[in-house]
Amino acid sequence: MKKGRVWKYGDNVNTDVIFPGKYTYSILEPEEMARHALEDLDPGFAQKVRPGDIIVAGRNFGCGSSREQAATCLKYAGVQAVVARSFARIFFRNAINQGLPVLQSEEAVDTIENGEEIEIDFIKGKIKTARGDFAFPPFPESVMGILEAGGLIPYTRKKLEGK
Amino acid sequence: MGKTIIEKIIQDHTKEEVKPGKIVWMDLDIRSARDFGGPNVIKNYEKEYGDALVADRKKTFFTFDLCVPPSSLKYADNQQICREFARRQDIEVFDVDRGIGSHVLIEKGLAWAGSTVVGTDSHLNILGAVGSFGQGMGDVDVTFAFKTGKTWFEVPQTLKVLIKGSFSSPTTAKDLTLYILKNLGTKKAALKAVEFYGEAARGLALPGRITLCSMVTEMAGIIGFVPEFRDSLKAEIENISGAKFSPHEADKDCSYSDTAEIDVSDLSPQVAVPFLPDNVQDVSELKGVKIDSGFIGSCTNGRTEDFALASQILKGKKIKEGITLKIVPATKRVYKEILERGILENLFLSGAIISNPGCSGCAEGHIGLTGEGEVQVSTGNRNFAGKQGKGKTYLASPAVVAASCLTGHITNPKDI
Repeated sequence: MKKGRVWKYGDNVNTDVIFPGKYTYSILEPEEMARHALEDLDPGFAQKVRPGDIIVAGRNFGCGSSREQAATCLKYAGVQAVVARSFARIFFRNAINQGLPVLQSEEAVDTIENGEEIEIDFIKGKIKTARGDFAFPPFPESVMGILEAGGLIPYTRKKLEGK
Repeated sequence: MGKTIIEKIIQDHTKEEVKPGKIVWMDLDIRSARDFGGPNVIKNYEKEYGDALVADRKKTFFTFDLCVPPSSLKYADNQQICREFARRQDIEVFDVDRGIGSHVLIEKGLAWAGSTVVGTDSHLNILGAVGSFGQGMGDVDVTFAFKTGKTWFEVPQTLKVLIKGSFSSPTTAKDLTLYILKNLGTKKAALKAVEFYGEAARGLALPGRITLCSMVTEMAGIIGFVPEFRDSLKAEIENISGAKFSPHEADKDCSYSDTAEIDVSDLSPQVAVPFLPDNVQDVSELKGVKIDSGFIGSCTNGRTEDFALASQILKGKKIKEGITLKIVPATKRVYKEILERGILENLFLSGAIISNPGCSGCAEGHIGLTGEGEVQVSTGNRNFAGKQGKGKTYLASPAVVAASCLTGHITNPKDI
């Protein structure tokens, strides 16, 4: 069970506002990427985000360009999970490959308010809020394995080493 | 139980049982990276695997298309990082002169019907136009694919879209695509494969199929297929790629998650209004919207036929004073064709700027950014705020862009 403070946003948060295109070439270290997270949507975010915070958003989160940095910058900014009504497919993969859990729940998004504290139980597939609990489908075993290892590459390293 | 097209392609590439919702490890026939993403793929690769060779150098490619030739030092450095890695690994590079990677893969016969292809391009699902499962992925996925030739993938459900009726000039495949996007939005096809059927789909030539399949990304879908091919189109694709073309068909008893019907009878030209691609209106609703610039190109509308259409409208006329029209062919092959057919000359004489092939404005690339307050009408596929600079972008067909550049405002080509 993990607790976190919520940053709430709307529909169609695209990868250009999560991580601006102008930085895609000049920044390669993840810690530096984190300093520009959500810069074009919420300029105060990168300054104020705390480790363990949770992003809650509407439909089609992470749409647009395939840039991996959109997932990387959120993870290294300390975001522990993103809950949305739906995700764009490439962002969804990139997030899992980076070890950043992404959860879908229409009902939870309806209820959760900006700034409140919620808890997520990844094993049971449950989001606990002040106004009730919401279920989300738990991750399939292979995805859980990637998330637990901290991303696709560490996961494969483990597999290759026979662990 | 029968299988849909995506299920068949994935099943051909995995020993695991394929059914929607299940995650399988599958083999990849081709893995590619661009000048965007490529340097990060290399950084990841060398950090994780040192100087180990890629799984199969003959199945691994770099395609430079975003900022070609480079207009900034960063781009220049990053392309050189890719070239040097490619030399060490003996991997082929389609360099800055070649054009948009997904189109180059089609032209080189590297994306064949039934094949699986990944790369760092969110529109790589354009390969659905030739029956290939192309998929854009992030740097980590592509790094992993370079090294292992595999990826994990959740078998998607398939949406069947029946396009009813037919349309005629000046309505084009782009208008059809925008209208479908308007109807499906970003929810109906989300995370699904889409199979497009019906007379209007069947009648699409290869460029029109490329246009439609490219914007399945904007529908939030995985990939689109247009399963019915006329024999003449099969022959044309074989001629372009130099390889036998035998696309999969869905089994009669396959299972679709959902079906949508869209009637396109007498469809008029469509335009996507800033700042969402599915914010689509009939061109007549936008009459009088003044523009500053036009752009014809991109992976969505950068084929010879797209420029031929613009050329028909612009031939012997001058674009309105004060308006700039940017022309960017998808590939070197397209460039050669429009040169030989006199299309390029017509466009040039009308006052257009002709660029070498590539992605250009869609990727903040070598041509085509907008300034604050600028209104652009573009044949591209995204009009998100900030995507092509600070201006506003309307998405439309090559015919609407050409007509609008003659008048200086958004114009239905039939009014020219």
